[in-house]
Amino acid sequence: MSDAGHDDHGHGDQSPFIQHHYDDAQHQFDSGKFGIWIFLAQEVLFFSALFVAYVLYRVHHGEIYSYAHKWLDVKYGAINTAVLIFSSLTAAWAVRAAQKNQKTLLIACLATTIACACGFLCIKYIEYSHKIHEHILFGRYFDPCVSPGGEELLTRKNMCPGSKGSVIWDAGSDKPTEGCFEASKLDLDTKLAGVQADCEVQIVKVDEKGKEQPGGTPVTNQCPDELLTILNGSEAGTGKELVKEAAPKFPCWRPAYQPQVCPDLTTPEQRNHGAGMKSQVGILVEFGDHEEREGIKIKAKCKDASAPKPMDALALSHEKPTEHVGERAIKPVHHISTHEEHEIESLGPPPEHTSMFLTIYFAMTGLHGVHVLVGIFVFIWLLIRAVKGQFTPDYFGPIDFAALYWHIVDLIWIFLFPLLYLIH
Amino acid sequence: MATTEAFPESLKSLPQAPVTEPDFLHVSKGWKSWAFTLDHKRIGMMYLFGILFSLLLGGSFALLLRTELWSPGRTIVGPDTYNQFFTLHGAVMVFLVIIPGIPAALGNIIMPIQLGAPDVAFPRLNLASFYLWVSGAILLVLTIPFGGLDTGWTLYTPYSLETHTAVMVATMGVFLLGFSSIFTGLNFLVTIHKFRPQGMGWFQLPLNIWAIYGTAIMQVLATPVLGITVLLLTVERFAHIGIFDPTMGGDPVLFQHFFWFYSHPAVYIMIIPGMGVISELISTYARKPIFGYRFVAYSSLSLALLSFLVWGHHMFVSGQSRLANMVFSALTFTVGIPSAIKVFNWVATLYKGDIRLKTGMLYGLSFLLLFTIGGLTGLFLGILSVDVHLHDTYFVVAHFHYVMMGSTLVAFLGALHHWWPKFTGRMYNESLGRTCAIGVFIGFNTTFLPQFVMGARGMPRRYWDYDPQYQIFHQISTIGAFILGISLFIVVCYLMASFWTGAKAARNPWGGSSLEWQAPTPPTLYNFEKPPIVHELYNYDDLVEVAPDRWERLSDAPEYQGAVPVASGSKEHH
Repeated sequence: MSDAGHDDHGHGDQSPFIQHHYDDAQHQFDSGKFGIWIFLAQEVLFFSALFVAYVLYRVHHGEIYSYAHKWLDVKYGAINTAVLIFSSLTAAWAVRAAQKNQKTLLIACLATTIACACGFLCIKYIEYSHKIHEHILFGRYFDPCVSPGGEELLTRKNMCPGSKGSVIWDAGSDKPTEGCFEASKLDLDTKLAGVQADCEVQIVKVDEKGKEQPGGTPVTNQCPDELLTILNGSEAGTGKELVKEAAPKFPCWRPAYQPQVCPDLTTPEQRNHGAGMKSQVGILVEFGDHEEREGIKIKAKCKDASAPKPMDALALSHEKPTEHVGERAIKPVHHISTHEEHEIESLGPPPEHTSMFLTIYFAMTGLHGVHVLVGIFVFIWLLIRAVKGQFTPDYFGPIDFAALYWHIVDLIWIFLFPLLYLIH
Repeated sequence: MATTEAFPESLKSLPQAPVTEPDFLHVSKGWKSWAFTLDHKRIGMMYLFGILFSLLLGGSFALLLRTELWSPGRTIVGPDTYNQFFTLHGAVMVFLVIIPGIPAALGNIIMPIQLGAPDVAFPRLNLASFYLWVSGAILLVLTIPFGGLDTGWTLYTPYSLETHTAVMVATMGVFLLGFSSIFTGLNFLVTIHKFRPQGMGWFQLPLNIWAIYGTAIMQVLATPVLGITVLLLTVERFAHIGIFDPTMGGDPVLFQHFFWFYSHPAVYIMIIPGMGVISELISTYARKPIFGYRFVAYSSLSLALLSFLVWGHHMFVSGQSRLANMVFSALTFTVGIPSAIKVFNWVATLYKGDIRLKTGMLYGLSFLLLFTIGGLTGLFLGILSVDVHLHDTYFVVAHFHYVMMGSTLVAFLGALHHWWPKFTGRMYNESLGRTCAIGVFIGFNTTFLPQFVMGARGMPRRYWDYDPQYQIFHQISTIGAFILGISLFIVVCYLMASFWTGAKAARNPWGGSSLEWQAPTPPTLYNFEKPPIVHELYNYDDLVEVAPDRWERLSDAPEYQGAVPVASGSKEHH
């Protein structure tokens, strides 16, 4: 530009939206285009830290990704991908419509883009609310009610919705424990299984004063091949079955939510190491609702486990121990196909630090969702301006820039979808 | 070389102020005309006053720190308060003073004029950046009533997740400040690309603009990483997502990587604009073309590039791998190359120059000395084994103060004195200016030279208490800090006083060759009353001092029209 240009205030016949300090419409458009590209570079860097975190934790804890990604529904992810790609098309089409002065088409394209963006967020809402409902959350709030395979899990806070619930009973203090298996309190290399085998567990009904009703139901160990006990009993005094087929359905002794305490029992040495473990019993009970849960008491009486049963008596170690190094602690005893293995991997309690996958999932999709939301507001603003007829072939920059922004929002999702939903 | 020969008397009678248009300070009145202004100069001046206020705040914390360290044990405050003092000193100085100091304040005021542009590319975004800065600054200051901040400015996890001080207020503040910086960088990049006048190619740009260009690249590419990092830290604080929390499987060292991926380039965001300013000052006051123009320009860009590759040298003792340590150490030494290129070129520019020891030049010379010390001591810290000994000692404190304060703040002051007459239209008291420049230099060295010694002897940084053997160094340092503080306070006072008592400034009081000296003093709303003529950059042959602090171009004299060759600007500079 050779002219500071301040004697030409009106810029001739140009659009009234050409700002005073630009030479002409082209100068304004070029500046804006360059600016939006720099902004997009900034956006890439803004997201980059999350991608780095994703890669880092996946390299170090691949197992949590292969376990936890099955909580995500590929169907919803795929629909959202299609919706976003289509909205990118309409956004690009809007630019063309503005260049060619096709006002109706422009309005239609902008409206479709907004509709798609809203649809995307609706689906995201469905996905998020399901996860919030089932406590499949990040960090401290990670307390899943179900495994990716759909089994109910022992949970930490026992706040799962519906009729399902679980209690971890500390037989030593005869109270339910909230932070049930705490690594600091349990020596988990000890004979968890042996201890549990020596416990007698009863479910009794208590009245409002807390007095026990007679006729408690004994709970037996019914885990055939594996270690521990999930109860199978009937409601006290009623004869009504509390848990149907609980024992085969649920894995036996596997801490559900705090996997760092999950005992690695793959080798006889590990199983025979240590002694003295007692008094913690994990029992999963199916309750009607919270009130019903109030009226239930679980009694556990365990023998002193200072002389545990030899672990080799338990049918567990049919596989080579080395195969389990770094993998989940307890494997089924029979040989299984790869397909079955994938199925089984999504069963059972999560591996250690699985919450990190959810942290990354929520951080990435959440930040992306905020960008979609911003995009909606931008496109509504453009729609209003389009209805007013403010865009002309020599002034359509804002639509072009918003469409570019929308493309990067789309592009980020195109990375997120496979990285979060489609991995193995 | 400035000529001492007789010059045509007609030069003295050339018009000094715009006749037709009011200057930008008087073009409109009322607080709204400032609060909603889109004029880059007014926005820059608002930044400037915000930054000077922050400087006083951060400086007060520094003096409180130094007073506490006068004697071992408790002098004036206890350890908790001391922790908050050094945290706020660091956070305020880094995020509110040094980072926006030259680019946002002086860059905003001067850069578009130097470029010959009527404004920055996106004036509304520029105003938005300013208000983001204000909001971030308010949040940062609000940490004081909300429980203080005691994490250090680095906000390292996991301590920042556990402390009960107002970390979230601070991180939200830093987030906003980060986006202020990003948008300023974006604006400047577009301005420099799209608003160069005809005849001003990339290699006719003043080196100050090259420096701002390199800075803007880093602002745009590094700051977003800080943004997402403090955002994650904020979310971690209230939602416990666990990403940096080792108890939930998170990685606190990852925070350090993210933090330094920004904060190392941030060191160059702070220093490179200072280098740009120094190129202008040295050349103008030595009345010589800058030596090795292209090398100085390219070294700004290569510093910007290298700054992204060396963040790991802040983490030699964090437990990162040996290989990473060695790579980062090796890369760290490469930073010395462009830095040394600049210093050698400035010294070569001074050689046989006609040096004018104006206030601006005194700061420029201070910079040369202080930056050399700061840069060379950085090499000590880049050596792995030496760093293990010196890490987290006062040696590090002294090193980065020589770079951040001894160089950047001194360059900021030099720039302020160099361009103050241009944008306020007033001359400050020159002898006070020179005295204070010397005061800053003496005070600064008295403060920080002893810190090298006690750091090398093992005095750890950020400690409230110390062994009596370090007391003498602490006391010298404290005395120096007060000399420095008083000098800076006087600087602010006489600059403010110049608004009322200063003589009217000429269009070109220092004989500068770049375009801003062609603009009226103070400039009009769109900077130039007529399109500026691009003369050959850093060529002072055409400039004569027709009166004290008033320079004119010989070629502007009516009788010399056409007689003196004027570079068209299309000619490549050597």
